[in-house]
Amino acid sequence: MRRLTSHLGPLIMLAAGLFFALGALTSLDLGSFRRMGPGAFPLLVGGLLCLLALIGLMQNLRAPMAVDRADPMAVLGVFGGVAAFAFFTPLTGVLPATAVAVLITGSVIDGFRWSHRIALAVGVSAGVWLIFVQGLGIPFIAIRGL
Amino acid sequence: MELLDNLMLGLATAATFQNLMYCFVGVFLGTFIGVLPGVGPLAAVAMLLPVSFYLPPETALVMLAGVYYGAEYGGSVASILLNIPGTPSASVTCLDGYPMAQQGRAGVALFATAMASMAGALFGVVVMILLSPRLAEFALLFQPAEYFSVMVLGLVAASIVSSSGAVRGLMMVCLGILLGTIGVDVNSGETRFTGGIPQLRDGVSLVVVAMGLFGISEVMVSLRGATQSYAGAGLTGSMFPSLSEWRRSAMPALRGSAVGSFFGTLPGTGQTVGSFVSYALEKRINRNRAQFGKGAIEGVVVPEAANNAAAQTAFIPTLTLGIPGSTTMALMLGALMIHGITPGPRLIADHPELFWGLVVSFVFGNIFLLILNIPLIGIWVRLLRVPHHYLYPTVIVLICVGVYSISNSLMDVWATLVFGVIGYVLRLFRFEPAPLLIGFVLGPMMEEFFRRAMLLSRGDPGVFVTRPGSAALLLAALLLLVASLIPWKRWLMRGRDAAELKDGL
Repeated sequence: MRRLTSHLGPLIMLAAGLFFALGALTSLDLGSFRRMGPGAFPLLVGGLLCLLALIGLMQNLRAPMAVDRADPMAVLGVFGGVAAFAFFTPLTGVLPATAVAVLITGSVIDGFRWSHRIALAVGVSAGVWLIFVQGLGIPFIAIRGL
Repeated sequence: MELLDNLMLGLATAATFQNLMYCFVGVFLGTFIGVLPGVGPLAAVAMLLPVSFYLPPETALVMLAGVYYGAEYGGSVASILLNIPGTPSASVTCLDGYPMAQQGRAGVALFATAMASMAGALFGVVVMILLSPRLAEFALLFQPAEYFSVMVLGLVAASIVSSSGAVRGLMMVCLGILLGTIGVDVNSGETRFTGGIPQLRDGVSLVVVAMGLFGISEVMVSLRGATQSYAGAGLTGSMFPSLSEWRRSAMPALRGSAVGSFFGTLPGTGQTVGSFVSYALEKRINRNRAQFGKGAIEGVVVPEAANNAAAQTAFIPTLTLGIPGSTTMALMLGALMIHGITPGPRLIADHPELFWGLVVSFVFGNIFLLILNIPLIGIWVRLLRVPHHYLYPTVIVLICVGVYSISNSLMDVWATLVFGVIGYVLRLFRFEPAPLLIGFVLGPMMEEFFRRAMLLSRGDPGVFVTRPGSAALLLAALLLLVASLIPWKRWLMRGRDAAELKDGL
């Protein structure tokens, strides 16, 4: 099973190469050798990527490269943090969104006490306000309705 | 004296209050992230890119460069105190630095490291001053075919250092180039691969790609192991080396600087290779070689002189040819392009205040770094004891705010997240993201020169091998590719050291 997953790596690359090469072939003008169209270069590089992916696949069939085990909680924590930032910024402004994002990302780290997580969230929000709003003068809505 | 005039111009640029301040901010942040194992200068430079848009180009570059070479100083602190390299290029420093700390001579090791770093960096700056204008003059002879070939060389060099092999490195380069084609084609005005999404017409933003691949995915990898802290780190012994140690260090520092300077100028190799090779070389020729690996002061002086020299000379190909010497350099090229400055042989002539100002700022930056790393070393040692779980949520938010600040677009934040997930999956499958980024930055320029060269040759692809300059560059790329099949690292380090080092690379 692990061996099969290992082959997925080069296969993803093959898919990407095919996507660009076929996309260039079917929907873009290739032009001539002298006056190349917008499709020529992507076709060339996409083709090269396919070739490399096939070589990589052959290497992998002989000696499969190890695959690292994914950590779903870490992905979830980071994903949740960023998504929360993007979701809350239009609703509440940047600073509350920052605090929520810090709390969510921090919540997947074991052994990180809640009091410390909250302190970090407040501290980082204050830092963002100081650096980005006060220091750099970026026109953010810091807290909506304030 | 033309050189003197240039340096005076540089001094006038670098010595303004604003530039000195941002230089200090840069080297301070650089040391900060260099000290912390797990966060590299790459992520830090990526995070500072949006901030740099608010600064004049020379100030932005002075700051970003400061982060880059500042990290080389900081990287050795964790190597010496904990036997964990703060940056990859500081892994060689573990070999003698950690034994020194165990013998209660951590203070001496840190002092010697800072002095050697300074010596190496200044050596590199002198090489840069002497070499860059010549190289740029020479490169003015380049035609599109040569430009294309020099980029091929740069990309091959960048992909063969990838630890999972040249083929995988090259795949990432191709993927990067292809991502760079998304958006409107400048020659024909046609849109490519946008899938009808209007925001993609301008292409994928460099900041989004860099922050996603290096910031977000790196945090995903390290987040959950974050609760350890390095409570054991402590400063031991006096800081000052004895007179004989000073004497023994002088020549190795010089040799390390020379070797490092050489490897720094080669696109794609940079500091890590420089520090490895200089250590291996010194181990063959030093009279005190029997002590190497057991806490010899030469063993920390040599690699640190080398990696700092390389950090400076890596700017030579970046600023004179537009070929990034490393991934961090690729980001700096990107920063320049965002400011509307085209990197290449005309840069020194067209923007002398930028080039010479940067060179002179290196000298100031290194003086700041010496102050930060000798009298103020205690701060960094204490920093190592702070648990890392405070760091990662902060990094995530700084990425979000940074990306959002570019154009108040939450679309960019989502796109960064997408690239973060892509980067994470690719990492799981052992594809390193660094070559992808270099391909992404160079790709559009490469296509432009490729098409121009084909136009000039009236459609004859033979132009790349019949023009001698272009042929030589392509041959060099081919040789590099062949050379990458030789396990030189094992050959250079032989046996025991190689086993100890394999974690660092």
